[in-house]
Formats: sequence, C-alpha cells, structure tokens
Amino acid sequence: MNARLVALLAALALLWAAPLARADPPPTLQPGVLTVGLNMPSPGFQVGAVRAHGVVFARGLEIDLANALAARLGIPRVVFYQEPQFGRLIAPGPKPWDIALAEVTITPERAAAVAFSIPYLAADQGVLLRLGLPATPRSIAQLARLRLCSQSGTTSATLVATQVNPVKPARLFGNTTLMLDALQKGRCDAVIYDAPILATLRAQVPRRYGPLAGVIRTQESYGVLLPTGSALLPIVDEALGAIIGQGTLTAISKRWMSTDLSKLPVLR
Amino acid sequence: MMRDRLKGTALWCAALLALAALGSAVTAGASGTAPTVKVFFGQGEQLVAVSRPGATVQDALTALVAGPTSAEQKQAFRSYVPPATRVRSVTQNGPVATVDLGVGFLQGPAVDTTLARLDQVVSTVTAIPGVTSVRLLINGGTPLGLFPGVDATIPLTRAALATPNVPATAPVVQPGGQASAGTLALQQQLAGLGYLLQSGADGVDGPATRTALVAFQKWQGLPRTGLADTRTRAALATAERPAPIKQGPAGRRLEVLVDRQVVLAIEDNQVVRALDVSTGKPSTPTPIGSFKVYAKFARWWSVPFREWLLWAAPFNGGVATHQYPDVPPFAASHGCVRVTPPNAHWLFDFLSVGTPVNVIASSG
Repeated sequence: MNARLVALLAALALLWAAPLARADPPPTLQPGVLTVGLNMPSPGFQVGAVRAHGVVFARGLEIDLANALAARLGIPRVVFYQEPQFGRLIAPGPKPWDIALAEVTITPERAAAVAFSIPYLAADQGVLLRLGLPATPRSIAQLARLRLCSQSGTTSATLVATQVNPVKPARLFGNTTLMLDALQKGRCDAVIYDAPILATLRAQVPRRYGPLAGVIRTQESYGVLLPTGSALLPIVDEALGAIIGQGTLTAISKRWMSTDLSKLPVLR
Repeated sequence: MMRDRLKGTALWCAALLALAALGSAVTAGASGTAPTVKVFFGQGEQLVAVSRPGATVQDALTALVAGPTSAEQKQAFRSYVPPATRVRSVTQNGPVATVDLGVGFLQGPAVDTTLARLDQVVSTVTAIPGVTSVRLLINGGTPLGLFPGVDATIPLTRAALATPNVPATAPVVQPGGQASAGTLALQQQLAGLGYLLQSGADGVDGPATRTALVAFQKWQGLPRTGLADTRTRAALATAERPAPIKQGPAGRRLEVLVDRQVVLAIEDNQVVRALDVSTGKPSTPTPIGSFKVYAKFARWWSVPFREWLLWAAPFNGGVATHQYPDVPPFAASHGCVRVTPPNAHWLFDFLSVGTPVNVIASSG
C-alpha cells in the first residue's frame, strides 16, 4: 500500500476526529447548551411557536443548520431564543444568545457592530411576478417599466432604487406579509426580494403568484451572527466549513428549498 | 358583484346550519338523547359538518382527531387533521376558546392541507354554542409563520377564514397561432364526435384542441398524450360519438366516468359533449352514486384550500364540477370534478340546479 496515501488518510482521520476530541467544552453562555437567536417567521428558513422569547417549536433550514452546528461543536443541547425585532439582533452590545441565524446579509456596517461567521448561503435578489402579467421581463430595462414592490430598509430596496431605477417609484412595505399580499392582489407587477425567500413563499401557494422571472446577481452572503469578540467565532467557522464541505448544508437546503435557483434566468 | 355572491353563499350556509341546528335540537328534545356537537371534515372543496355525541370543545376536538367513520369516508369525507394530533389543553375565556395542540398537528409537509386543518379546528370549535373565536397554540406557544397567509397570533373566526383574501384569477388568454387546414380537419372530426365545440374548429391548435384530444384518447383507451399521433388519427377515422353508459330520463344529465376520467353531457339520452376531466385522487375519491346539481356559482371560494374555483356546480356537499387550471390526465382532485378552462364555462351553462349527476365507477 502506498505509504503517502496511508499518511494522508491518517491525517484526514485526525482532522475528522478533532472536534470530538476537543478537551474543553465550547465557551457558551450555559455550558453544554448552544443558545441560538432567531427572528421568526421566515418561511423555509425558520417558522415555529413561541412564548415570549422562548421557542417551543421551530423548523426550517436555519433550525437544521443550528442543530448541525451544535452536533459538530459537540454541544449536546440547542435552545432557541426568539428576537421579534430584527434590529436588536444586529445592534451592538451583549446578547442573550451564543449565535443567531436570521438570513442576515453580511455588510461592513453590520460587521462593525456584531461578528459574522464565514457565509453559509449566497443569495441573489429574485423577481416574482403577479398572476396574469402579460409578458415576462427578460432584462432589468424591461423590469424598470413595471410597478415594482420591495421591502423597506433592506438591501433589496436599495438595489431597486440604485440599479433598477423603475419608471414609477417602487412601493415599499414594512414586512414580507404585506408585500406579498399586495402582489397577490395585483397592486404590484413584480416583487424584488431575496430569491430563496421568494422561491419558498411561491412554492407554498404556487397558484397565488405568477412565475419567478429570474434573479439579479448580487451574491449577498448570509452569515451566522455572534456577539463582537465571541470566543466561539473560530470554532463556529471551522464547524460551518466542515458542514458545507461535507455536503450537509446542501442536503439541508434541498429539504427546505424546493426551487433550484441556479436554473433561473439572470436579468441584466 | 363578488360581495353579493358571497353574501348569497353565506346566507345559504347560514340557512343550512340553522336547519341542521334545528334538526339536532328537535331530535335531542324529542327523544331526550345525549347532546351532539358538530365536527367539520373536508368533502371535496368545502368543509361539511357531521354530528357526534358530546357537548364541549374537548368532546368536539376528540371527535375531530378521531376522523370520519368508514361510512362517511365512502361519501368523500376526509380529515386533514393528523390522527397523531394531541389536544394538550382547552380553556375558555368568554367567547374565546384557547386550544393547545401538540406538534403532531403540523405533521407532514403539505401546506395546503395545513390550512385545511386549521379551518377544520376553527370551524369545529366555533360551532360550540357561546364560542366565537379560537386562539390556537402549538406546544403551548403562539404560531409564527406556520399557516401561510393566516396570522394565527390572534384569535381566529370562521368568518375570517372564509373571507376571500385574493381576487379571482383572470383567465390567461393564449396567443393564437397560425391556422392550418390539417388542424381544421382534425378539429372538425373532434367536433363531429362531440369532443370539441363547433365554434372551436378554427384551424388554430390550442388548449381547446388538446383537451378534446385527451377526452377522445381517454374514451378510446389510448395513451393520454393530447397529441394527434398516428394511433389517435387512425382511431378518429372510424370512431363514433360516445353513447351514454346508462339510459335515463329525457332532458339534460351528466355521467361522470371515474374509470375513464371523462364526463358525458347528455341530453335526451344523446351525448352532446364528452369532456376531459380529473376526479378525486385515490386518497380522496369522488363518491359514486346519483346526485343532483344543487347550486351554481360563477366563482366559489374554497374555504379549506383558500382559492377561487370558477364555474362551480356542487352536486354532493362540497363535491362540484368546476374549472381548474391544472387538469392532469389522471385522477388528481380533492374529490371534485376538475374541468379544463376551454370547457368549464360551457359545462356551467349546460347545467341547471336539479340536473342529475351520475358518478359511475366502471363504464365497461
């Protein structure tokens, strides 16, 4: 047998076993418990049931990801913490959670207040049409002639204003529910928002919407949030790297995201 | 317009409920038997109440989780509430009942049935006298995002769930292609045999021609391709107009042939049209038997599935003929008879309240 191959396999085995062999338990708020901040609901990513901040039931891509991270870190228990105000997740200061998952796009401004892991998902902006729109837009120029809607205070709204430049100013809504309600009622021709979220919402009630016309490439990255200076950051990065590298995250995504976004046309 | 129709439906439902309530009150009073509760199960595209012994919210929920009897199942009653659902607690504060269910209630990935479950619970609990709304908890917690399009953080009423929250979908008009003599000849054959309307023989291939071809292929037992392939053309050359399976009275009537997935529109024992339809899938089959159209709705709001059904003619509780955008060449519905868009309006006009509908399992 090839000695170099044996050595390589041995090294790989060591790497594999490393997290399990770690001597000290990871420095979490409560030893043996990973407390994970959430901002429910976000269909596909995280939905559930809560009593104030306590989460009694949760499911979705980010719930599975949190459990996979805890397993990889050798932490036996996961407790979820609901933060109803998204702004408080990304505000500076101490946090009641060890990590938080809420489809948070990594931006330099946010990174000044909180710490981010390596990205776990690269999201483009999606274009979801209303039912019965006569022609499907094939370019950003065609999109700009439609009545567009988006969500205020998001990277999506910024993209609409700076890159799409619609003929009529876009209508902005305070939350996803109101925005999609307007699309269902035909008050918008198209909604521009994070592609994976639009794909999930459409898959839930496909007959309420027209097709996903495509994506606008932005490749925004969602990262795991941590309090600034968290000692967990390096081991969370390492665990996330392994979860991505071994295909675990792909399997989780397949379970919750029914639409293959890579097959959608790219609008330019 | 929409509001008026809705009011009509609501009044009609209220009248039925009142009659039902009257009926049970009279029965209970006359015989002195135990009181009953109303439990709502799905039947086709609507929820319909059945009676069970009991008096409290807990009694009603226990009966709901137990599901329909086998006799009810034969009449297409179906519960979307999983049998594994645990009723953790029921409390009542004035007209608001708080119902705490275990996560078994959310079992399974199918979102459309999740909404139907919610509607079953709300309808059943608010049928208890004195209860007007339901605050639902899952494992003791307030649901967030578990019921798409429904804010379940507030107490829910049956009226709120039964109120349409989307406009009826406008039909999508397909751009017509080029007319051709070959297509025209094919269409004339199909129209001559009752599969296509004479007015549909315009030489342009489209959805009306395809659904007529599928109806012909279903009747003939050919592969359901919707294409004028060699076998289909050969069969067309010698085919005769379909004949009714059963002889019946003079006038208009329908035969729904479950085995062939075809509806025969019959007048004076002659087949006027043979239509491509999709009936109830194996888990929710269309009940076999003789019925009559009891109402006609140009648009009918499906309460459990929260969508508009166009050109609906119910003939057995929540079971109706109605237009649907998706009519696959096999049985796929919740128990109703789905009709393709090119034919639905025609069938609606053909039917009257009282038109006999015979659902036949085997057409030989």
